[in-house]
Amino acid sequence: MKTLITSIVAGVLLALIFSLPALAQDTGQITITMTGANEISISLDKTQWPLGDVAADTEYDTSPAIEWCTLTIGGNCNVNIFIVGDDAEWVDTPAAYKWTLSTDGTNGEDIYGLWFRISGDTTRGYVPITKTEGEFWPYAGGSGSSLAPGDTKQFGLRLLTPTYFVGERQMQTQITISAVAA
Amino acid sequence: MVGRIRLAGLIATSLVIFLPSFALAQDINFGVSPSKIRIDNLPPGESTEFDLAIHNQDEVTRVFSLSSSEPPEERRSEGRTEFPDDSWISFSRQQLTLDAGCRANVTVTVAIPPEQEWAGKKWETWLGVTAESTDVLGAKLYVRLLVSTKPAVGGKSNIGLIAGIAAAIVLLSYGSYYYLRRRAKAR
Repeated sequence: MKTLITSIVAGVLLALIFSLPALAQDTGQITITMTGANEISISLDKTQWPLGDVAADTEYDTSPAIEWCTLTIGGNCNVNIFIVGDDAEWVDTPAAYKWTLSTDGTNGEDIYGLWFRISGDTTRGYVPITKTEGEFWPYAGGSGSSLAPGDTKQFGLRLLTPTYFVGERQMQTQITISAVAA
Repeated sequence: MVGRIRLAGLIATSLVIFLPSFALAQDINFGVSPSKIRIDNLPPGESTEFDLAIHNQDEVTRVFSLSSSEPPEERRSEGRTEFPDDSWISFSRQQLTLDAGCRANVTVTVAIPPEQEWAGKKWETWLGVTAESTDVLGAKLYVRLLVSTKPAVGGKSNIGLIAGIAAAIVLLSYGSYYYLRRRAKAR
């Protein structure tokens, strides 16, 4: 009789051990975790580059060349910074005429190049800006780490105009600096 | 004619590019919180929502637009895969205008379709908040959204239960057999 009771108890316990974790999963609640009250924030102290008239196949640098704009990290979380460019469009009729942004910083007929350079970054120098979001800081192979609140990075831009373009047209483009929590 | 146009293109090089905007401010300064959101145990067929706070820290009124975008694999958190469909994420407002120094919330809803193929997944997507501008430099902040769906109910959990019951039956049978055998011997 004792053996029978022992085996019943053992069997019930074994069934519970196997099934309880499974049952517990079924009653789980949806949880939403906001990482603290972390705010991600950046500021750029300059956003305009009114170049005026430009010539074909010519390089133009911001002035000062590599300390033109200061990026400052605000908020209270470390961030990684990216940069992306776009085609330049004719302001009057954007769909009718554009300069295509080159994939490597070089130029061609109606193809232009954009570059950025971070002050103090002697490893990379000028880096092409493309239509694919690229690393601004930190970057693969570099020794730098993500930027902390209060950190700053100064940088400048370079434009390489197309070898040929239709003149007398006002063109406009945008470079976007983005940040994500590291 | 072509040659002439080309020549004209080369000679008539007067062209204004990167139009200056007439905005008073030449800077961008804004923040978004939280910077990372983690949703766990979201069952397929259900939805959940949370708020994103956008803070215009500029001295001018700005327009902000919201979107979701897929980060490249190397920028996703470890163990996370691509979010299957951006249309599962919706914003209470896709665009909002904020006066200088003002803050506003946008509600984000994440809805997972009912198919069991979406159970037990771990995804990551980024929610982008862009400060609209016609200047040459623009800024965008990404919020990391990590979504884990609830494991399938009919699969893993039932296996545990069935294994437990099977083990219990084996033990009970062995106990009964042993008990009856001892009882028979005693007689």
